[in-house]
Amino acid sequence: MLNISELLESIKESPYRDIVIRTPHTGCLSFPDLAIGAEVHGPSSQWKNKPGTLLATLERERNPKPILAPEKGELVELHTELAGTFVEAQTAVATIRHRLTREEVEHIILQKALFLFRAPERAKYYFTPEMDKKIHATESHSVKVRDGMELLIMSRMKREVHLQYSGPDGVIYAIYFKYNENIDAGAPLIGVCTQEQLPAIQEVIMRIKTEWAGR
Amino acid sequence: MEKDTVHQDGKTPEALAITDHKVLVANRGEIAMRIMRACHGLGIPFTALYTAEDSASCHCDLARELGGEHCLYRVSSYHDANEIMSVADASECTAVHPGYGFFAEDFRFARRVTKRDRKMIFIGPSWKIIRELGDKINTKRLARSLGVPTVPGSDRPIYDEAEAEHIAKSIFEFQESQGITHPLVLVKASAGGGGMGIEEVYDPDQFRSVYRRIRNYALRQFKDEGVLIEQRIKDFNHLEVQIISDRSGKHPVHFGTRNCSIQSTGRQKRIEVAPGFAPETLDYSFDAAKVLTNIVEYSLTMATKVGYDNVGTWEWIVTRAGEPFLMEVNTRIQVENGVSGCIAHVAGRGSVDLIAEQIRLGLGEEIGYTQAEIATEGVGLEYRIIAEDPANNFIPWVGKIERFHWKDQPWLTMLTHVPTDRPYEIPTEFDPNLALAIIWGKNLEETKERGKIFLDSIVLEGQNASGEALRSNIEFLKTNTDQILHF
Repeated sequence: MLNISELLESIKESPYRDIVIRTPHTGCLSFPDLAIGAEVHGPSSQWKNKPGTLLATLERERNPKPILAPEKGELVELHTELAGTFVEAQTAVATIRHRLTREEVEHIILQKALFLFRAPERAKYYFTPEMDKKIHATESHSVKVRDGMELLIMSRMKREVHLQYSGPDGVIYAIYFKYNENIDAGAPLIGVCTQEQLPAIQEVIMRIKTEWAGR
Repeated sequence: MEKDTVHQDGKTPEALAITDHKVLVANRGEIAMRIMRACHGLGIPFTALYTAEDSASCHCDLARELGGEHCLYRVSSYHDANEIMSVADASECTAVHPGYGFFAEDFRFARRVTKRDRKMIFIGPSWKIIRELGDKINTKRLARSLGVPTVPGSDRPIYDEAEAEHIAKSIFEFQESQGITHPLVLVKASAGGGGMGIEEVYDPDQFRSVYRRIRNYALRQFKDEGVLIEQRIKDFNHLEVQIISDRSGKHPVHFGTRNCSIQSTGRQKRIEVAPGFAPETLDYSFDAAKVLTNIVEYSLTMATKVGYDNVGTWEWIVTRAGEPFLMEVNTRIQVENGVSGCIAHVAGRGSVDLIAEQIRLGLGEEIGYTQAEIATEGVGLEYRIIAEDPANNFIPWVGKIERFHWKDQPWLTMLTHVPTDRPYEIPTEFDPNLALAIIWGKNLEETKERGKIFLDSIVLEGQNASGEALRSNIEFLKTNTDQILHF
């Protein structure tokens, strides 16, 4: 049985996540007037259309690309020594110490509470067209899965194979993959909640809401 | 002249001596390694690329070994032209070698390399030639204008039903006159690709309904109802002619033929052999020596006509009746170029590195020899060693290679980016090719025998995340070795 109080306490002891910001591609870096310790913010407004704090600019082939903070937090590293240099893709530019939000805490705890159906191979995953329609058309937490049903398409090296779900019958409570992104073998694809477990999971969510709300 | 176009010593890239050049190797894996070695052998510095998924590939190790730590750049993707240009500029490269795949046959990329402010040389045919021969319909039309045989059928999209029926009727009749007992016509959407919008017609009476179905499909899917009608050839050998020429485009020579008929079910090559037939050893139902001579002559005729100015491969279908038909022209270096190189001699010097020749000629050197100075000796064989399951539709196998070694031989060249001194996780982002083994023998029998000795010596083991053992095509290669060059 999952001990929610214990889990919450352990998260409260260190309620941060360090986010390393890396260059998406090669280019020449420049930095705005920012210093370590500065508070930065992620995208905001109802549709997240207001961009986060500008951390750096990466110029390639005369196209400047702003590198923006993806989340709110404190800037704990900023590699200004790279200013004016040509850098490789995936070069670390900054680190933000981000305080976990309620949704992130929910995400962490749900990963421990739900049955996780994991990627058998490193590949790209897609829901089958029928399942995709259901997921888009129906309310969240209502799409049922059962052992042996054809659920996903696993795509790698231009070949696609259908993947059957194996695990307890239940509803899809969380989806952990994005289309067109490679998922490592063993990484969770979906989190499934059995019908009997549903009240307990909803209670977990309620507790996180009340206990994390004021923080 | 714009300042940016000038490289060191105030020269344009075309004016530099080849050792004053620096080549960007815009590819990965074994072909990147062959390009690096060729550059190194020619005394030309290079810059190499890799992506995060390829950090364990031996092409990274070789780049550091031959070019030093600073010659290797991590990029986000091999498919991103901006990444290639940006690294080329940062590392002051004067030329780009695309290898095969990725940008190798992309005329827009080749044009961009040569037309941008900071101009470089594209090591491949000029962009106009890639554009001209990259269009299959255009190639077919050009071939026909020169009397080069192509697969019977239309050489332009057909929009008129009566014309389509007339073409189909003539193709059926042609096949009957060739003694083909079950003639087939292929109807395909002109704007389609990747096997979509293609149907076979077995019965002339069914042609009209298939034609209308494909035409409607093409209109829905591609907004173009043009349809191509061709003979469907089933029983054939797949041959190639290796052409090479300098930038003048006036002196194309050939490095003989290859036979690439042993393929997977998805028509991907698995074994390549040079020369393309062995008429002195094997019996054919046609004059195989004459077919080889003819396809070489046809290929050279086309190369001369277009002023072909680098390496290229003319791909041919040869039917059981000994009829050759031009399939397409690959305006790049082929995976299997080494099998032609290993049997070639130029002016008495053995084993020609066609990639080094491509670089040398691409950078502006003259070819420096004539066809008369090119000779061949023996039979070359290339195995493509791939993690795949031939028993299950050649589906790629993905997992970790734990042991990979083989017995070195003086007649064997092994080309691989897979490390032999450490485990290696096969990246899922690319094709599952692991290695190319090129084997030379003084005749067909010796080559086949050596091929089997090599395959028996390979140890290739590993397992995937589920603990299943590595699957490879080695048994498929062994079984098919006896069949090479048979028709």
